Amino acid sequence: MIKFSIDIGGTFTDVVAETETGLTSVKVLTTPASPDRGALDGMGRLLANLGKTYADISAVIHGTTLATNALIERRGAKTAFVTTAGFRDVLDMRYEKRFEQYDLNIEMPKSLVARPLRLGIKERILADGSVYQAPQDDEIDALAATLLREKVEAVAIGFLHSYRNPAHEAYVADRLQKTLGDTVTICQSADVACEIREYERFSTVCANAYVRPLMSKYLGALKAELNRLGFDGSFLMMLSGGGLTTLDQAMRFPIRLVESGPAGGVALAAHVAREVGSNKTLSLDIGGTTAKICFICDGNPHTTRRFEVARAWRDVKGSGLPVRVPTVELVEIGAGGGSIAGVDTLGRLKVGPRSAGSDPGPAAYGRGGGDATITDAHLTVGNIAAEGFAGGMISLTPENAPKVIAQHVQGPMGIADVDTAAAGIIELADETMANAARVHGIELGHDIASFDLLVSGGGGALHAARIAEKLGIRRIIVPQNAGVGSAVGFLRSPVAFESALSVMAVLAEVDAPELTQRVVDQLAHVRAIVGEAVPADHIDATVKFELRYQGQGLEVALDYPADSFVIDAAKLEAEFFRRYENLVGFTLKNIPVELVSVSVTAREKRGLDTQDFTPQNANDPVATRQVFDLAAQKRLTYQTLKRSSLGPTLTQGPAVVTEDQTTTLVRPGWSVHTSDQGHLILDRSEA
Amino acid sequence: MSHTLDIVAQNVLWNRLVSVCEEQANALMRAAFGAIVREAGDLSAGVFDANGDMLAQAVTGTPGHVNTMAASVRAMLAFVPADSLKPGDVLVTNDPWLGAGHVFDFVVVTPAFLDGDIVGYLASTSHIVDIGGRGWSAEAASVHEEGVTFPVMHLRRGKALNEDLLAIVTANSRVPHEARGDILSLLSCNDTGVARLLDLMGEYGLADLVSVAEFIFERSAIGTKKALARAAQGVYENTMMLDGYDAPIELRARMTISDGAIAVDLSGSSPAVGRGINCPLNYSAAYASFGIRALLTPDIPNNQASLDAITITAEPGLVVSAERPSPVSARHVIGQALPDLMLGCLEQALPGEVLAESAGALWTLSLSGAGKTPFTSLNVALGGMGARPETDGLSTTAFPSGVGSVPVEAAEVAAPVIYHAKEFICDSGGAGQYRGGLGQRIEIGSRINEDMFMSAAAFERLTSGPEGRQNGKRGANGKVSITDGTEVTDKGMYRIPAGERVILQTPGGGGYGAPAARDQTALDRDVADGLVSQNSAREIYKPK
Repeated sequence: MIKFSIDIGGTFTDVVAETETGLTSVKVLTTPASPDRGALDGMGRLLANLGKTYADISAVIHGTTLATNALIERRGAKTAFVTTAGFRDVLDMRYEKRFEQYDLNIEMPKSLVARPLRLGIKERILADGSVYQAPQDDEIDALAATLLREKVEAVAIGFLHSYRNPAHEAYVADRLQKTLGDTVTICQSADVACEIREYERFSTVCANAYVRPLMSKYLGALKAELNRLGFDGSFLMMLSGGGLTTLDQAMRFPIRLVESGPAGGVALAAHVAREVGSNKTLSLDIGGTTAKICFICDGNPHTTRRFEVARAWRDVKGSGLPVRVPTVELVEIGAGGGSIAGVDTLGRLKVGPRSAGSDPGPAAYGRGGGDATITDAHLTVGNIAAEGFAGGMISLTPENAPKVIAQHVQGPMGIADVDTAAAGIIELADETMANAARVHGIELGHDIASFDLLVSGGGGALHAARIAEKLGIRRIIVPQNAGVGSAVGFLRSPVAFESALSVMAVLAEVDAPELTQRVVDQLAHVRAIVGEAVPADHIDATVKFELRYQGQGLEVALDYPADSFVIDAAKLEAEFFRRYENLVGFTLKNIPVELVSVSVTAREKRGLDTQDFTPQNANDPVATRQVFDLAAQKRLTYQTLKRSSLGPTLTQGPAVVTEDQTTTLVRPGWSVHTSDQGHLILDRSEA
Repeated sequence: MSHTLDIVAQNVLWNRLVSVCEEQANALMRAAFGAIVREAGDLSAGVFDANGDMLAQAVTGTPGHVNTMAASVRAMLAFVPADSLKPGDVLVTNDPWLGAGHVFDFVVVTPAFLDGDIVGYLASTSHIVDIGGRGWSAEAASVHEEGVTFPVMHLRRGKALNEDLLAIVTANSRVPHEARGDILSLLSCNDTGVARLLDLMGEYGLADLVSVAEFIFERSAIGTKKALARAAQGVYENTMMLDGYDAPIELRARMTISDGAIAVDLSGSSPAVGRGINCPLNYSAAYASFGIRALLTPDIPNNQASLDAITITAEPGLVVSAERPSPVSARHVIGQALPDLMLGCLEQALPGEVLAESAGALWTLSLSGAGKTPFTSLNVALGGMGARPETDGLSTTAFPSGVGSVPVEAAEVAAPVIYHAKEFICDSGGAGQYRGGLGQRIEIGSRINEDMFMSAAAFERLTSGPEGRQNGKRGANGKVSITDGTEVTDKGMYRIPAGERVILQTPGGGGYGAPAARDQTALDRDVADGLVSQNSAREIYKPK
């Protein structure tokens, strides 16, 4: 049997096939007009190579950035927003706060629904869930007439306090659907993101409605075409939160797909972490323009429900549209191979966030790029070699690299030699990434020195050792097959679904039997969704509580067993105090503990279907390379090794390990070997 | 270490110091109880050298705290000499003239010791929910009525918390446990900062911060000087009229731009008044310099050297330089008007580069129970920002303050109130080639059918809206009324009877450039969106 995964990104589409004998993959250009064409083309080629047909495929797993791109490019459906009368501008008012204090020219993102299509209806639920004013049928019908006249394709409904009582949203949705018919998509905010804070919930439901017609049409067509070609297996979609879901669920909540590509990358990292027995893993992916960090504990990536898409102002945090859906929590840093180094107005060295991208790319690409990039710095100090760069796909003009560094950094800063300037650029990039990891780790309450560092992307293995040194980390993992990471990650992801309930009540006053019932119902709901693709006895469920001191912003998440679930307030409170003390250093007296929300997740149980790998040490002749070292202030002799020649025997650094897509730098004080699964492992051999 | 390595290392160290403060600020924000700190970021955090000069500060934070705190550390050390401090000691004050301008803001300063010597200080400031007195209003006749003032004293001596101080806080505050928790969170975020600073120094083998301080101050001074040179040297004057408590107040500025420095004299502004909208000079200086720096030096980090280039002075006893015992609770009403006063001076030095006037001071919306059920509800009602030289102003967005509003659902969960509407006001943005940001209409009543009190202390610009620039029109003035027919005309306390509602209309931002020059497509879109009426489009924008 064959499993396929398809990752459709903005530029490339990766298709991976997994058979009993291993993985094969193909990369094709994305075909934006009808993205399924590129995907089917790739599948066809792999099937031909394998001598198989569509009927031999047992499962197709798909992730895509199409929804994200539709949001960024504003190519979604003509959408109306129906809300509580008097509150239609919530979408434009946002947080009523500037996301940058000292930039007087910032712009806020345009809302997805233009003001004339934001329509109020007289209805009101209060904070306790009680009905203050019920919606009137004649007003709903008049509204339906307007929506018909305007020929809207999608309707988002968001009423105040619907997270507490969704009855009005459901009633209005039902009545509108009867008039508008099945061709118009209708989404309710309590269905999409059942959480308090109107702006974020309304923003989420609008984004979902906005992309749903497009996504259902695309996914429906892809599935139909696969079936026409003879495919009869299961079709699953990758979610932003790192799990898989059924096509039906994906078509209902396409907003949950927005980060599926990066989630796939993290899923692969999590899988590798489980393979090598790493319980605490810091995943770092360094690409061409950004680096992404994610913490993975016990093989599970850290997730959040705070995410924003389509940033409107220089990619600044806070300038995008918030969506409250489960998402793997990636901290993004503007530092990658193409990041541009220079000197700022204060005469300080600066690296990123501006990037030369891949076109024109680093100066050494010889495509007209005149800026000094991180890649140019690596070439200058000898971390990477011009020969065989990117598997020989890009031929370099290496002499450009020291020239641009001399021009943009060494000269303006008055640094004595170009090597030191280049090493300074790399050191600052390492520092920026290490610091982002340090800060995020502290926020999550982690002791970062006890983690392993798992790197991917073209630049991960180049920077890993120095970043690990800065963080006190003693083990580095460089996985196999990092090139098509996301698509491989899809194959390693469990079917899963998460749903959250806002509670916002003092823990001691919670009606435990009532809430227990709500949670049990919700558990049944998420189990049923996962059950569409997985047998019931293969499903695990978890419940997570978010608690805080009333009035405080610090929310503490506690995991709770889902089996024979009953709420035990006293136990929860005791656990909250323990965790709070751990995070903050003290607990407080006389302040009630509040239950903010409960989230439930059902997840497919999965084994570690790994393939055996027998590493062998080859006896290649040892070559060497001179690499500049900032601390030593001179070039040191590194031996150069091919990755394929490394086996289980430890090789002591300094060494560089080369392969087509990346170079691993084994700094002095580190050793390297290949694990039983084929991953490179670097160990710190001295303090 | 060679000199060249030093440059890279200094660079890294500077970034790391900012990160230390950022972490300190995040710890504070997460641990704070007031929604205004938690949701809106009414706080600041910074690291100082052994002389008490600010090295770096968190980018999170609002200007009133940020810039006052820079001076607080040295001011506090004047009361408790540095050589008397021992490891573990922590200082605190909420003196409006040493801290952030009113008794709600506590400043906590913690020395960082390395091998027995003080190598630096960590400081943080945040708004404590309630500290006794009259609570949040402008009704006090003197600072003595506004709550308990703690002169500079120890919050901790060695390992021993000053429980006496905390007991006084809990005895006086209407929300005793939260106030105690907020003060402890200041203490704890500084402890976090100290630990990180010492880790950092250990990592780089530093015995002190002298060399990195020199690097930061030198680079910042040069960068600031270069950036200020953009504005033509000279002397520029500007005046502004505010509603005042119950009689108009005039603000005056005389700005002298010289080579690499700006000096502003606020003398000639109205004398201090008998109600709590007066502003201590430290808070006036904080906002005035924020206005100047946001326009001229937005890329230069806050530190002693970048702040030193701008000096703000005034003769004592004015509304911008109030002295003890003048009441100062709502000092932001004056303080937050100062950036617009500064921008009016700078418009003369940099014609065509300065945004129009904005709604200005945050409209603090303070409601409390006047019936059987006690409660308080604190939020802000925001108006429009002035139009910029190349784009429309931002609607209902705080400026110059950095805070945001509390969501309606969160406000209704926290207190028995109902928001009946919160919507843009058509035609409230000042007309211009670029339109001013819109104000909003908010309608609120009681959920429990009881009377409510409302403080009108911060409802400013009720008589005239923010001014436009380069022939742009004024934004709409604000308006506050109660459905029983009461009009809010001064900054006092108002009763909203059970069953009635208060209707707030916040000011719109000023317009930029002549309205006739507005792009027709932009005007048509505004009309279609209902943000500009057809009538205004015809009469103001494109008269025949």
